[in-house]
Amino acid sequence: MSDGTRHDELEASVAAWVLGALEPPEAQTIAAHAEGCATCREVAVRLRHVVGALPVAVDEVTPPARLRGRLLAAAAASRGRTERPIAMRRSPRLAPVPRSAAGRMPLYAMAAVAVVALLIGVLVGQIAAQRSQGTAQEQVARFTLTGHEDMAGAKATVVDLKADGVALLDFRGLPPPGANRVYEVWLVPAQGSPVPAAVFVPDAGGGKVVLVNRALAGYAVMAVTNEPAPDGSSQPSQQPRLYGNVA
Amino acid sequence: MGRQAAEEVAGRRADDAAKPRGRGGAGGGGHVVAAGGDTELAAELVAGNQDALAELYDRYAGLAYGVAMRVLGDPGRAEDAVQEAFMNVWKQASSFDGERGSLRAWLLASVRNRSIDYLRGRGAHERREEELQPEVAYGEGPPDPWREVALSLERAAVRDAMASLPAEQRQAIELAYFGGYTHSEISDMTRVSLGTVKGRMRLGLEKLSSYLRGRGLVDV
Repeated sequence: MSDGTRHDELEASVAAWVLGALEPPEAQTIAAHAEGCATCREVAVRLRHVVGALPVAVDEVTPPARLRGRLLAAAAASRGRTERPIAMRRSPRLAPVPRSAAGRMPLYAMAAVAVVALLIGVLVGQIAAQRSQGTAQEQVARFTLTGHEDMAGAKATVVDLKADGVALLDFRGLPPPGANRVYEVWLVPAQGSPVPAAVFVPDAGGGKVVLVNRALAGYAVMAVTNEPAPDGSSQPSQQPRLYGNVA
Repeated sequence: MGRQAAEEVAGRRADDAAKPRGRGGAGGGGHVVAAGGDTELAAELVAGNQDALAELYDRYAGLAYGVAMRVLGDPGRAEDAVQEAFMNVWKQASSFDGERGSLRAWLLASVRNRSIDYLRGRGAHERREEELQPEVAYGEGPPDPWREVALSLERAAVRDAMASLPAEQRQAIELAYFGGYTHSEISDMTRVSLGTVKGRMRLGLEKLSSYLRGRGLVDV
């Protein structure tokens, strides 16, 4: 195939490319071509101007009122713009709380976690059955922590047992924390500094069930960082890459 | 402003960020944020000013959520897509280039991409490369109180432009942009050749470009 024929073929796909209508391999091919082809690059820039206008045609829809608070809490937790660790906030830190360090638990406590996990299943099932009575949301709330960047494959389901003042965290897809490292769970209030809640090491499959012996009420975000073993840190030493709203 | 001073401002405003505010009613330095255009807003975002994020949200949340709902039709996932798109702008604000387009265009492109990711079950990390600010030189909106009036006029113009297209070109563009379908899938759905689908997309976008450029709505 001549260069001219190849160019014609690729240029014919530029519109589909800027509309996001190519499969990733095709998009990569045309992106590479456009890097060195002034004609295709010019067409792409011109058509992207138009594609950028398309969403303006959509009617505005008022989002749920809670979304604004969720966003600002997540932004506060990420601290992505300040390039400072979470703990460098200027507001007074809340007093550290005793941790439920699943990775260092005595056997009886680990057994308790297993029992609680089983009871959770029973309890959630019972509550689901009572949903018509409007009690489920009063007793149990579920949240999701989502991984980002190098922890994009990780997630956790948080079951907040409000009546008992504890939360169960079911982690999946965690990468190994590294030698002499642990994961540390933080609870972040809407205003104030992160509070350490637990440290743990995932199993070989990247999973772990962790009990946080603390009520989640009053906290906006739960986040996880990688910290030195065995006790973690009193303040986060890095930006969290696994976090989610718990309010 | 020195780095230390900037961090002090960022820290102080971060502490204020969770306080409820009305539209455009950011407190303290937020008055400056509310009055500024995209460039000023982006500078405040880079500085870590959460008032700026609140202002960005107040300006465009309705439009962003509208786009997500148009793509997903699911309030829960639309909410997540909008939050992730705002977070993307918040985290990547330092890469904003006013010469390449407006914050609004960047944000809405991110909302659309996140929504399509949800639709197709893709992880956001698979799209990281595309999350960089696209070259969308869509004019920066004038400051309040004209912003909403201008948006209304822009919306009418884009709708008119879309309505002026032959049905098959409009369909190809909408299936791709709002439906998240690939050109191959559109070819199968509409029972026309792949080449025809590509042609419809190209012709449609060229006509839209001409129409909007004629009304000064795209800076080409």
